[in-house]
Amino acid sequence: MRAKGLTVTEKRVLISLFVVSGLLCFLPPGLSVYQQHVLIVSLFYVMMASSWNLVAGYTGQVSFAHAAFAGIGAYTSGILAAKAGINPWVGVVAGAAAAALLGLAVGVLCLKMGGIYLSLTTLGFSEILRIIITNEYEVTRGTMGLQIPGLFAEYSKLSYFYVMLVGALFTLIVVRLLIHSNLGLNFRAVQNDERAASSLGVNVVQVRLLAFTFSSALAGMAGALYGHYLLLITPEIPSLDQQFLVLSMTVIGGMGSFFGPILGAFSLEILSEYIRAYGEYHVLAFGLVALVVARFAPNGLVGLITSRRDKKASPAAAA
Amino acid sequence: MALLEGQGLSKRFGGVAALDGVNFAVEQGTIVGLIGPNGAGKTTLFNVVAGMFRPDSGRVLFRGEDVTNLPANTICRMGIARTFQVTRPFLKMTCLENVAVAMINSPRSEHGRDWRRAARTYLDYVELGHLASTEARYLNVVQKKRLEIARALATKPELVMLDEVLGGLNTQEIGRAVEFVKRLRDERKLTICWIEHVMGAIMGAAEKVIVLDQGKHLMEGPPDAVVKDQRVIQAYLGD
Ligand SMILES: Nc1ncnc2c1ncn2[C@@H]1O[C@H](COP(=O)(O)OP(=O)(O)OP(=O)(O)O)[C@@H](O)[C@H]1O
Ligand SMILES: [Mg+2]
Repeated sequence: MRAKGLTVTEKRVLISLFVVSGLLCFLPPGLSVYQQHVLIVSLFYVMMASSWNLVAGYTGQVSFAHAAFAGIGAYTSGILAAKAGINPWVGVVAGAAAAALLGLAVGVLCLKMGGIYLSLTTLGFSEILRIIITNEYEVTRGTMGLQIPGLFAEYSKLSYFYVMLVGALFTLIVVRLLIHSNLGLNFRAVQNDERAASSLGVNVVQVRLLAFTFSSALAGMAGALYGHYLLLITPEIPSLDQQFLVLSMTVIGGMGSFFGPILGAFSLEILSEYIRAYGEYHVLAFGLVALVVARFAPNGLVGLITSRRDKKASPAAAA
Repeated sequence: MALLEGQGLSKRFGGVAALDGVNFAVEQGTIVGLIGPNGAGKTTLFNVVAGMFRPDSGRVLFRGEDVTNLPANTICRMGIARTFQVTRPFLKMTCLENVAVAMINSPRSEHGRDWRRAARTYLDYVELGHLASTEARYLNVVQKKRLEIARALATKPELVMLDEVLGGLNTQEIGRAVEFVKRLRDERKLTICWIEHVMGAIMGAAEKVIVLDQGKHLMEGPPDAVVKDQRVIQAYLGD
């Protein structure tokens, strides 16, 4: 099913990406400032969820440091711009690079052990980062937040929208290319069966490390862009709340699928705008829904949508 | 010099001595049968050679080189491929992708950029070509065993270790499978180490048979001599 229709699927994916982003391009000018804001935040989560999906969905490594890497990106770029006057665009690249380097370091520390150790180490890393940011008041302004320059001389939501759209498309294209490269085959082999993969020559640790580093870099870029949009960066960005929101989006949308995180990011972000009025428990609620989804519909919304079609196509009589 | 050699290999699991000082050799270009009752340590021997388990003591030599504690992926890249007795296909990947993983990680594979076509020839070779784009989870047991073989071959090995690949076949199919394994040796110049309970198959293909019993190397020799040996009969009947 998969390989046969690959070129067709590939075309379909590209076309739908272009159509949707084309539509998005014309949409915002007619929207209210608030609606534009929701779209911008959604696009940030598209970047976050899609890049988290790269490690969690495609190599089966559940990292809790994805929001932390976004924080590394945001604070690197933000501090460079605010304290050293470095051009924010350069800062975004530096933020992504810093996240990649730290991702590599964390990966080297714990990927050999994998599984639960990775989850625990990344959880610890997140917490340490939060403590550092909160305590290094001189540099980060702690929980008060650090005011940083924007990407443009003149503030315009519309410009930010286009920047985030390009960032999201870039992230999606990178993810797509990786998944369909030889490395992507190895990602999936490692997730399907580590032992079988290594017996066929796959260097499991190296493959996980590459996925983790790419994913961290993309999170760093997302965080840096988002920070320059908010103009005020706080420990909220690298918080565990944020992490669980990204996790919920990916799981509910569909782990290990290309469209799952996109769908999850938009629907949960928009939904959370509606239920925000009822207090700040929406992340908890999403987490619970994600648990149920993981248990009963492991392929998420995307799985539910495509399962009917797949049933027909599956060679049940594979003789 | 033998292509593969084991010297004094031992491996314990808790109280069980799965391997107990096993010495063996596999000569280049031959088919060597590995037999023994259930739990004799046959699969463990493969796992130790393939770098899946570290032996407690002893050495594994491949082309005379010590490969004892190398990781599984390195062993594979050096030219030793294995199939799993309990098959381990990548369930959520297509048959073609399953084979592709083996090809793209092999330093000897000459697939170039177009691995699809090359992978397809391996599937055709084991008669799974028509299922190329089917996910492996839809395969039945016999097809999964074939996929194991296709993947092992796709790594372009020098030595293939087959672990009970005849499961689920009838007598006629077993005959064909034996011819298939012999062709692997003759046409692909492979050396083969083959675990099988079906005596007839081993008898028809192997130059040499090694018998394991309770982790120990019981005896070895040409197939007809082995099946007549009193110790082997005793081991199989149990006491
Ligand atoms: N991973 C493991 N953990 C614990 N014990 C093991 C493990 N692998 C094998 N054993 C034990 O080692 C002994 C040898 O097992 P092994 O699988 O090598 O036998 P075998 O000769 O392949 O048997 P069979 O013909 O049934 O496949 C058995 O007692 C088995 O229970
Ligand atoms: Mg066995």
